[in-house]
Amino acid sequence: MKTNLPALAAALLAFAAAVALAAPQQFQLDLDHLAAKASNAVDLSLGGSTLRFAAKFLDGHDPDEAQIKKLIGGLQGIYIKHFEFRHEGEWTQTDLDRVRNQLHTPEWERIVGVKSAEEGSNAEIFLHVENGKNTGIAIIEAEPRELTVVNIVGPVDLEGLADLGGHFDIPKLTIPKEKKSK
Amino acid sequence: MDWLDDELKRAFERQEPPPDFAARTIARARRGGRFALPRWAAAAAAALAIAAAGYGYRQRQGEQAKQQVLLAFRIAATKVNHIQMQVER
Repeated sequence: MKTNLPALAAALLAFAAAVALAAPQQFQLDLDHLAAKASNAVDLSLGGSTLRFAAKFLDGHDPDEAQIKKLIGGLQGIYIKHFEFRHEGEWTQTDLDRVRNQLHTPEWERIVGVKSAEEGSNAEIFLHVENGKNTGIAIIEAEPRELTVVNIVGPVDLEGLADLGGHFDIPKLTIPKEKKSK
Repeated sequence: MDWLDDELKRAFERQEPPPDFAARTIARARRGGRFALPRWAAAAAAALAIAAAGYGYRQRQGEQAKQQVLLAFRIAATKVNHIQMQVER
């Protein structure tokens, strides 16, 4: 088999450039190998230009779509990997650690961590904070037969995100106001 | 029935075309025939077709991007709500 060295070098350079140019609040979702084991997989990689383009097609007169349009404003990207498995044990702690280890920098602040031994689940929310401003978010939710990693790059309105509950088939959660504002 | 034979003979009698017939036929063929569109109209129709196809493609791409964004927010919001629910417990 012939190796096309110039093409390989160009691909490596492009990859290196992409890594170098990536925003600091963007991390590598190195979980592609799980797709083959998953019964259902969602892989979304939406850069800033795609988000701006999509925003033009959101109906500002529709309250739900208008809310999404507002949330998109200023975002530089949304990257999601979501896997559902038929059996337990398809993903490993190493897979999770590979993602989580990238969040061990001073800018990433873990704001929520929930572990349920009963359900065998683990969920965390990290905020990327720069100069006192929220500039990104990471959501990791791991269940025995499901794994989701979300990386939103840009200023995220977490409350606005939660307020989408009850719309777009998202379950509505009622949180008492005084607790919500905490 | 002689009159009928005579009529038929007269009708099918060979007639020579006018002397300029060949030249006129060739000239008409060169002009592209009676129903040919002017060049500017053909170019305008082609440009319109390309613009319509481009618009349709852009609309499809936009709708696809919008659906991906909605799916992204659906997943993210569902996870945030689920985590909040676990915290509330």
